Amino acid sequence: MKKILIYIAILLGISGGLFYIDKKINEPAKIKGNKSLIIYNWGDYLDPKLIKKFEHEYNYKVVYETFDSNEAMFSKVKQGGTSYDIAIPSDYMIQKMKSEHLLKKLDKKKITGLSNIGESFLNKSFDKNNQYSVPYFWGTLGIVYDKRLPAQDIPDDWRDLWNPDFKKKILLVDSARDIMGMSLIDLGFSVNTKNDQELEDAKKNLDELAPNVKAIVADEIKMYMADNEAPIAVTWSGEASEIMNQNNYMNYIVPDKGSNMWFDNIVIPKTSKNTKGAYDFINFMLKPKNAAQNANYIGYATPNNQAKKYINKKQIDNPELYPSEDKLQHLQVYKELNQEYIEKYNDLFLEFKMISK
Amino acid sequence: MNKIISRVYLIFLLVILYLPIFYLILFAFNEGDNMGAFQGFSLGHFRDLFSDTRMISIVINTMLIAILSSLIATIIGLFGALFIDRLKSKRAANIYLSLNDVLLVSPDVIIGSSFLILFTVLGFSLGFMSVLLSHIAFSIPIVVLMILPRLQEMNKSMIDAAQDLGATRIQAFNKVVLPFLLPSILTGFFMAFTYSLDDFAVTFFVTGNGFETLSVEVYSQARQGVNLEINALSALIFGFSLIMIIIYYLLTVRNKKSVRVGKGRII
Repeated sequence: MKKILIYIAILLGISGGLFYIDKKINEPAKIKGNKSLIIYNWGDYLDPKLIKKFEHEYNYKVVYETFDSNEAMFSKVKQGGTSYDIAIPSDYMIQKMKSEHLLKKLDKKKITGLSNIGESFLNKSFDKNNQYSVPYFWGTLGIVYDKRLPAQDIPDDWRDLWNPDFKKKILLVDSARDIMGMSLIDLGFSVNTKNDQELEDAKKNLDELAPNVKAIVADEIKMYMADNEAPIAVTWSGEASEIMNQNNYMNYIVPDKGSNMWFDNIVIPKTSKNTKGAYDFINFMLKPKNAAQNANYIGYATPNNQAKKYINKKQIDNPELYPSEDKLQHLQVYKELNQEYIEKYNDLFLEFKMISK
Repeated sequence: MNKIISRVYLIFLLVILYLPIFYLILFAFNEGDNMGAFQGFSLGHFRDLFSDTRMISIVINTMLIAILSSLIATIIGLFGALFIDRLKSKRAANIYLSLNDVLLVSPDVIIGSSFLILFTVLGFSLGFMSVLLSHIAFSIPIVVLMILPRLQEMNKSMIDAAQDLGATRIQAFNKVVLPFLLPSILTGFFMAFTYSLDDFAVTFFVTGNGFETLSVEVYSQARQGVNLEINALSALIFGFSLIMIIIYYLLTVRNKKSVRVGKGRII
């Protein structure tokens, strides 16, 4: 009996010790800032050094929480019980959150440096006049390909993916909106179409692509392309730049015919308790040097035109990461669809996925 | 000849079992950032690991859950086994035992999702407590299963003898039953401990609000390619278990020796 009590005491002692250590680990940060700022962002989507710098300059304690999809973020904010001060959703989700009254309207007087953002990135359809959001990163959907492909096979348009030479060679990103959008653009339709006939055509168009599809995968696309598992993939520019960093043979293009242009913008959710801190953060991120440091770290394109002079040469000289104004004109932004059409896009994509297996 | 074949077979098996682990550990020392190719020796990932307070906090949480849940489950399971053993009707005992076994064999996914439903219906917020409670729950059947056979093996007249010699019921329990059960109690505890430590499916359902255990964290990283910090952590955990096993081995060897010496003296 005594032995057992000793064992229990030892175990409780260890637990107590672990509790204490855990507390200690999370404590020092708490003393530092008098107020906390809770940022809800995609995983690995903000340079940790910038968080330190922000904490130092503005004397806040930053709590950084991550999500892995717009939908997950949306339901968490909508559910309540959270008090995020900053969130960074994508374009169509901003429109959705706006219509559900989950966002605080921005007070432009409290924001300095909005003029640093390029004209092409403001006043987009999902948020007219940027009443609710400030651009954070933007990018495109395009084709990553292996430069070692035979010259006649190198793709420069969506149509080239239908090339019979690519039998079982293409990786597609698992996203209904993006892949349906790609097919719609190829046929010359809008990526936001609500015309049933056009959607049917796009689906048929995809079915013809099915023999060329090796797999439809999510984030793993990065790993596979870096490891030369496939010579061609359709994915986002941010992923593409990571692939190109890891594998010198890969290149990325955005077809001239057009593509999707996506945005991740900073918003202040309704649940925010530290609105002043949220504005401080927005202003901090609008400073050219900070925006550039973040872009250098993440590898995505910053909409901050003043920041461009501080960005790595390798990135800024990449015409696919920072396309010309002319090309920008051909890019389309996703608009929030109503529930009926979200389901329609998803169903058609699902049908296509079943065929290509 | 037979001996050689059996030895080769054994070595082959061990190599297959340990190769993936050593491969994993090797890349903990990789200078590069992924498992693609070994680019040179570096301790950078260990440095990252120790400065990553979030990761350390997750490891501590995992340990805490494992220790506390197995401790509580062992206590509850001990009384559960005593209860089943004391039942007069054989049928009732069998029913209880089968109910216990059902929990043991039912898939983690079902246990996990039913806990999730239970907690959300009760309005219980997901986090440390929800994980702890569900780990206790799925550990109890294991403990019962470890202790019960030993209990049934026990010669009940030992208790009568103790009581004849003037021991109260509590004293008989403390001085006779518990010492006899101690090895099986320890086995039960360690089984529950390891189950809790590496449980993924149940934990996955009941974590939330920023609370995570190691297995859930590794899984959520796996989608984007596992950070080599995880390899560094695995290397440390493997080394730690290795040291613990060596210590255990040395202790048992010493114990056996001292027992022999003791016997010798008596003779």
